[in-house]
Amino acid sequence: MHGVKRVRQSPEALAAKKEKEQAKLNSYLELTQTILAKKKSKDWSGEAFDLTTKLLQVNPEFYTVWNYRRDILLNGTFPRSSPQEINDILSSELHITTTALKQHPKVYWIWNHRRWCLASIPDVPQPAAVDEQEQGQASTEPAEVDPRGWQKAAWDREMYIVEKMLDADPRNFHAWNYRRYILSESPTPRPLSAELAYTTKKIESNFSNFSAWHQRSKVYAQMWESGEADVEGSKEAEFDLVLNAMYTDPDDQSVWVYHRWLVGKTPSLALLQREIKAIQELLDEQPDSKWCMESLVHYKQLLLQRHRSEVNSKEVIGDCSRLLRELRSVDPDRRARYAELEEKLLAAFA
Amino acid sequence: MASASSPQQTLLIPRHVQYIKDLGQSSNELGYHLTSHLRMNAIYWGLTALCMMGHKDALDREDLISYVKSCWDEEAGGFGAHRDHDAHLLSTLSAVQILVILDALDEIDVDRVVSFILSLQHPSGVFAGDRYGETDTRLLYTAVNALSLLGRLSDLDIEKTAGYIVKCRNFDGGFGAVMGAESHAGQVFVCCAALAIMDKLDEVDEDSLAWWLAERQLPNGGLNGRPEKLEDVCYSFWVLSALAILEKVDWIDAEKLTAFILSAQDIEGGGIADRPGDEVDVFHTIFGIAGLSILGYPGLGDLDPVYCMPAELIESLGLRKRWRGLPRRAAP
Repeated sequence: MHGVKRVRQSPEALAAKKEKEQAKLNSYLELTQTILAKKKSKDWSGEAFDLTTKLLQVNPEFYTVWNYRRDILLNGTFPRSSPQEINDILSSELHITTTALKQHPKVYWIWNHRRWCLASIPDVPQPAAVDEQEQGQASTEPAEVDPRGWQKAAWDREMYIVEKMLDADPRNFHAWNYRRYILSESPTPRPLSAELAYTTKKIESNFSNFSAWHQRSKVYAQMWESGEADVEGSKEAEFDLVLNAMYTDPDDQSVWVYHRWLVGKTPSLALLQREIKAIQELLDEQPDSKWCMESLVHYKQLLLQRHRSEVNSKEVIGDCSRLLRELRSVDPDRRARYAELEEKLLAAFA
Repeated sequence: MASASSPQQTLLIPRHVQYIKDLGQSSNELGYHLTSHLRMNAIYWGLTALCMMGHKDALDREDLISYVKSCWDEEAGGFGAHRDHDAHLLSTLSAVQILVILDALDEIDVDRVVSFILSLQHPSGVFAGDRYGETDTRLLYTAVNALSLLGRLSDLDIEKTAGYIVKCRNFDGGFGAVMGAESHAGQVFVCCAALAIMDKLDEVDEDSLAWWLAERQLPNGGLNGRPEKLEDVCYSFWVLSALAILEKVDWIDAEKLTAFILSAQDIEGGGIADRPGDEVDVFHTIFGIAGLSILGYPGLGDLDPVYCMPAELIESLGLRKRWRGLPRRAAP
């Protein structure tokens, strides 16, 4: 139970609560037994379907009942429905899960059912070609109908829903994973630039939202790979953004983790030196900043690993050593890590 | 009680044992039935916690075995979370773990369980939870762990399976639930443990990951699961198990984390909560105790962080992998 306050109740209060619950408990158990019995007998009726709706409203985590609900649709309802009817049923399923998600935003099974619904939306039937002889005139091409029309309409609505979910909890990883699923599978692909703009909006409203920084790193990687963004130019703009965030709150680790991604594992000497200088300037202003020191150690170690012949390594090792010793007192929880790093550094570059 | 050992600073083993025993007796409560989809997992959590506390026999062996068998889904060939619930990978792993702890694997059709698990692997290497199920690295670990406990890891395509995990690795060294997902301590545990079982730990970027894991500790001693999130007792296990696999448990402050876990105990009713003052549950109880075991808390048994089961048992099965917790401290 996440985040539910413990309440110490008197035996009398507990007994009263139990008594009040009794009726609820009996009807829940009865409903469960009825449904599981119907499931066993492969009852694919509309009545059984309605019972699952009732039960899932009380307990959306009952995965067996979600499975049964889908079985009823696939074996009972869909075979006797037109494509239009199937589409309508799935729209109503999506609507039900929207309501459920508002109450239970972190229940895997609800998100899962949503994906199944989306993937099950049928193609729009094509109008039959008009018969030439019966009409006694030249055949007319039937108006073209987009076969994926229903799917496109449904997937487009999903983005709206997922944004509502991320407004309510900007770190909900279910919602972010679902968002990426929609972005990659949608029949109407959204430009990466729009997704980048979304992460900008999320980050600007809260620098601490690492989920948005993470998404940004993935979007940029795709944009660089596809040539949609210029690597050098966009990186420069990112360094400006990150530097601004660092100065705003030097204790926010989201920004520092993202900065580490931006610098990468194989930075040029010039880039490393520039970033080290910028962080050093911030450290001069905030002499106790753990993240400034920690990052300086990381980037100075990169200097030694990648550009040793181009730097005064004795000086850099000395800097790292001094910073690591300072970190042990500024950030004592991780003192063993800093001690180990210093030991390794001295052993590697002795 | 003497102030040197006030309840908040001590693991209240008898209370927790009683709390776990009582869980099975609460079938007249609505909450008990609303969580029936977690029953098999809950039994595994409770039983493992009891093993750590040296009270394995607090639950009746025959009752447990017959309960597990009553959850067999004949159609699918796996175990459901409760009687008449559909087979699912999560409950199937818990069933296998319970039976391994009770030395009762001979009670089930291992071949069918293995087929059920393998049937849920997708071409990408990831596993689904059931025939309609979602896929993620949590379910992949569940499959790998169960196959290993059943002695049938050789039936698995290791390259394909480990390949999927590698695709979920992020620049911070952590792992996400699916490709493209943010690093999360729960996923870091399942991915590291699955790689450990498959002898593929060389796929881990150890320096980055150990750094990221050490940064999960907050000033109050508790651990969070992602940057800039709140602490929660369950991360004591997700983060510590991965640190133990990387042999870096000392990279966080053990004393402060120990105090945080102990402060989340319900000192009257037993059990451990997500954080101090909250309602307890068996999930946070096992993961709090598991964390304490890895931290070398006195009087607890050793927990194998790869399987989240008693270390002695895993060792006796010949499944022990490389990992290191803190040395067990002597009782004060």
